[in-house]
Amino acid sequence: MATKPKIAFFDFTSCEGCQLTVIDLLQTHLGLLDLVEIVQFREAMSEKDEDYQIAFVEGSCTRKGDEARLLQIREQASMVVALGACAHLGGINALKNRWAIENVQTYVYGKNGKDAYESYPARPISAVIKVDAVIPGCPIDRYEFLRVVQLILQGRKPRLPDYPLCVECKLKENACLNTLGKPCLGPITRAGCNAICPTYGDGCEGCRGWHPEANFTYMREILRGHGLSDAEIDARFTMFNHYQFQHMGDEAPITTPISPAKDEPLPTSTFAAPKEA
Amino acid sequence: MSLYILPKERLPEFVRALQGNYRVVGPVKTEHGFAFDDISDPQQLQLDYTTTILPPKKYFLPQREVLFSYHTEQGDNGRQRIEMRPVYQGVEPTVIFGVHTCDMNGIMLYDKVFSEGFRDEHYMERREQIYVIGIECLHPCDEASFCKDMGTLTAPPVYDLHMTDAGDFYFVDTGTEKGERLLLDHVYVKMAEKEDIQKLGQILSSKWPRFRMRLKMSRDQTPALLTLGYQAKLWQELGERCLACGSCTNVCPTCFCFDVIDENDITLQNGERVRVWDSCQLYEFALVAGGHNFRESKASRVRHRLMRKGKYIKQVHGLIGCTGCGRCERACLVHITVPGTLNALHEEMQLEPGV
Amino acid sequence: MLHLHENLKTTTTPLRYDGHTSVFLPAVATIEDVKTETALEKIYTVRLPGGQNLGHVPGQFVMVSVPGVGEAPISVMSSPSRTGETFKLCIRKAGDLTGVIHLLQPGDQIGIRGPFGRGFPVDTFRGKDILVAAGGLGLAPARSLIDEVLDHRSQFGRLIILYGAKNPSEILFRDAIAEWEERDDVEFLMTVDRPDPTWFGHVGVITTLFPHVEVNPYKTVAVTVGPPVMYRFVTMELLGKGLTPEQIWLSFERRMKCGIGKCGHCQVNHRYSCQEGPSWTYAEALAFEEAL
Ligand SMILES: Cc1cc2nc3c(=O)[nH]c(=O)nc-3n(C[C@H](O)[C@H](O)[C@H](O)COP(=O)(O)OP(=O)(O)OC[C@H]3O[C@@H](n4cnc5c(N)ncnc54)[C@H](O)[C@@H]3O)c2cc1C
Ligand code: SF4
Ligand code: SF4
Ligand code: SF4
Ligand code: SF4
Ligand code: SF4
Ligand code: FES
Repeated sequence: MATKPKIAFFDFTSCEGCQLTVIDLLQTHLGLLDLVEIVQFREAMSEKDEDYQIAFVEGSCTRKGDEARLLQIREQASMVVALGACAHLGGINALKNRWAIENVQTYVYGKNGKDAYESYPARPISAVIKVDAVIPGCPIDRYEFLRVVQLILQGRKPRLPDYPLCVECKLKENACLNTLGKPCLGPITRAGCNAICPTYGDGCEGCRGWHPEANFTYMREILRGHGLSDAEIDARFTMFNHYQFQHMGDEAPITTPISPAKDEPLPTSTFAAPKEA
Repeated sequence: MSLYILPKERLPEFVRALQGNYRVVGPVKTEHGFAFDDISDPQQLQLDYTTTILPPKKYFLPQREVLFSYHTEQGDNGRQRIEMRPVYQGVEPTVIFGVHTCDMNGIMLYDKVFSEGFRDEHYMERREQIYVIGIECLHPCDEASFCKDMGTLTAPPVYDLHMTDAGDFYFVDTGTEKGERLLLDHVYVKMAEKEDIQKLGQILSSKWPRFRMRLKMSRDQTPALLTLGYQAKLWQELGERCLACGSCTNVCPTCFCFDVIDENDITLQNGERVRVWDSCQLYEFALVAGGHNFRESKASRVRHRLMRKGKYIKQVHGLIGCTGCGRCERACLVHITVPGTLNALHEEMQLEPGV
Repeated sequence: MLHLHENLKTTTTPLRYDGHTSVFLPAVATIEDVKTETALEKIYTVRLPGGQNLGHVPGQFVMVSVPGVGEAPISVMSSPSRTGETFKLCIRKAGDLTGVIHLLQPGDQIGIRGPFGRGFPVDTFRGKDILVAAGGLGLAPARSLIDEVLDHRSQFGRLIILYGAKNPSEILFRDAIAEWEERDDVEFLMTVDRPDPTWFGHVGVITTLFPHVEVNPYKTVAVTVGPPVMYRFVTMELLGKGLTPEQIWLSFERRMKCGIGKCGHCQVNHRYSCQEGPSWTYAEALAFEEAL
């Protein structure tokens, strides 16, 4: 191979779990470093080089200030890859979009939060810049990351599985959770994680986003069969995909309206209440 | 061929003896049911199991199977050189215990598909090392079974040995010489006597009333029914319901469609070409370059599956395309079933049985 | 009862070349020459190990592999009459694998399996007038038949070639076309859907050429190769000219993953296009609902 492509990692609003997954992968697949040169990776190294071709961006865009940085990355990189559900879908961060932003700021940062911390509704990075490829998941699947990097290096267009999670789940001969009374979103979720949650007995929550033919109507029927209310089903549908549903407007396959955002205080958390800022 | 008797309490001993020379697999208990798996302790073997999520087809055509390995590099002339070596995966003497008669019908179809025309050596090499030990079904697995309708309640000639539970012993019928050799050298295995054979006859004939019929037409009518019903409204309804999840085909003992993909190692120079199970229920299955999809709608895909089961496979391979095992029915979360579909078509066509 | 494999030209070489037994293992072939035909298509001259003859018939295809990327069905462009130690493929850059193939150069090795499929029954075409209707890239597979006819010219009646391209920049085989236009024993008509300033010929879809040809339906065989949208209209024209469904051959594109009638991708109703196709008579096609 001629010169190794330079790759860089960036994080926005995220838990950094996806970057940690990459670090984890490097422990077992050091050979990756023979193929690419990592020039920026805050999680793993302190050096920084602004000359890179492939940018992996983790996290969603949640404030005005993020935009300039994203545009700058886009400017430099010939290929931008969204890393993980936050960057790909908006993910968990977009749950706050249910409430008007002032209420969220007040809830999180206290009475003066509005002025103290900049914030706006969370968006996937594709809402701000053009994204060339996506590695879905919360967190990402390390082997999918590897596959996507390999495809890019071969000059091929990374493609994601276009079919539901149930395919992978059945190939592993898992007993289907939906037939055991446990809700699972596998039938509408894009495969690629090797059905990791159902394999360990937990219903899929859709962190990889929907596959192109997701049948929400009958998924809802299945979930109703578990005794879930429509509001509970909506909550499951929007857990990682709130932003997508918001942007489907009236077409969104949910029963409770999610836009405009509710102008009311957030419900009190069952976890420790946030301290006044 | 010949009929033997194997006392039940000697089965563990028999299995242990086989383990010396063979990989032994069979139905075992899982958290929520049964599955075919490797037997390490003969006690694991559950010959009175009901059904499994995946049929034993996974030993004949594994979910992921390497076809060949490759190596690519730049040659002296600076141009790409390739080397490829065939891989025959999972070729080892294997004994599969407890194959139900429906699944034996599936194996019979597989054998035909992979041996005829272009012979698939990857399948055949593995196949030749597999011993099928059947178990006679004396009770239906559950409500989803309709093996009686499909005529798969008797063992087709693919077994090496076939067992029938007779209380405190098993009848063991030998289907092949290679199967019969498995029985030799075991002093506790005896030839059946005349009165034993009568008892077997009783067991076999008394089982039939326990199985119900679910189809409103005979299986010989399904090709005609499907031909007439090609444009039926039913397909649209089913298409709307279908999740395009492919579960029905993945669990089906008569589905054998596959995809072929290359998997590279970290260096990108070495890798394997593998075949993996694929499903005609998935969007991309019939998509070609230029974006044309020959089965764009889910309705057309559901129809294609049912056509294969009730008509096409029979047309091409001369064998029944659905064994009535009921697995697709158990797997389908929106209750699209073979008997339900055929019966609804039958209603829509207003075909009376016997026409 | 249908006999799936009767009629098939089953070649044992290079399928089982080198004594190996896997139908999935390609022969290691070498690209001898690459010629850029249009912005999207390139013509590859391919040599099998030891210069072995491909042994195909017109209308058959091979599976082309780049290990590490994948495999795709590609029609053989060369006629048997022009296949010695090498044969030609015309490949359009359409996606993943074909994109990588377009980066290959002379000297690079590729994998070849096949030939596969039922070719055209050329023997039954002898003595008859041949009408070829090709749309776009369909001219590549059609050439395997055209050149075969040209090289045994006296054995066939008239040779009529109708060719439709989207626009002038996509016209394939300009050298061959020039030759066909020259020859007295070839009737060649061409049209483009979207003309540009360089174009002075026919404008319109391929069916607009039909009023310009007369055929004797009693002794004509028609072969149609092109994108799926083309078939229905061309078939109507041919039927309108009095041809019977048995005289009309159509070549179907389907997704193909094995080429050997196992993977199920190429099925048209119950029939496997990789085995019994990719060309069918219209009479055969009428018998299956999924065909058109
Ligand atoms: C019998 C036959 C003969 C053909 N002859 C020629 C030829 O002479 N020249 C030529 O340029 N092309 C030919 N094709 C088309 C060629 O096979 C496809 O362009 C090629 O498979 C695309 O592969 P890709 O990896 O480049 O594209 P991909 O990136 O894989 O896909 C692009 C599109 O092609 C579809 N596709 C993927 N695999 C296949 C497949 N195996 N068959 C069909 N579609 C597929 C995908 O669904 C997608 O829509 C022929 C196809 C058939 C079936
Ligand atoms: S996608 Fe999940 S794991 Fe990755 S950064 Fe976001 S929250 Fe963390
Ligand atoms: S457990 Fe979930 S992913 Fe698995 S088959 Fe059932 S619905 Fe599909
Ligand atoms: S199973 Fe569902 S929730 Fe779990 S990792 Fe996969 S896509 Fe995400
Ligand atoms: S179609 Fe259903 S019932 Fe028939 S063999 Fe397949 S899985 Fe069993
Ligand atoms: S299992 Fe049911 S929902 Fe899934 S593809 Fe089959 S018919 Fe459709
Ligand atoms: S290409 Fe696999 S069956 Fe035809």
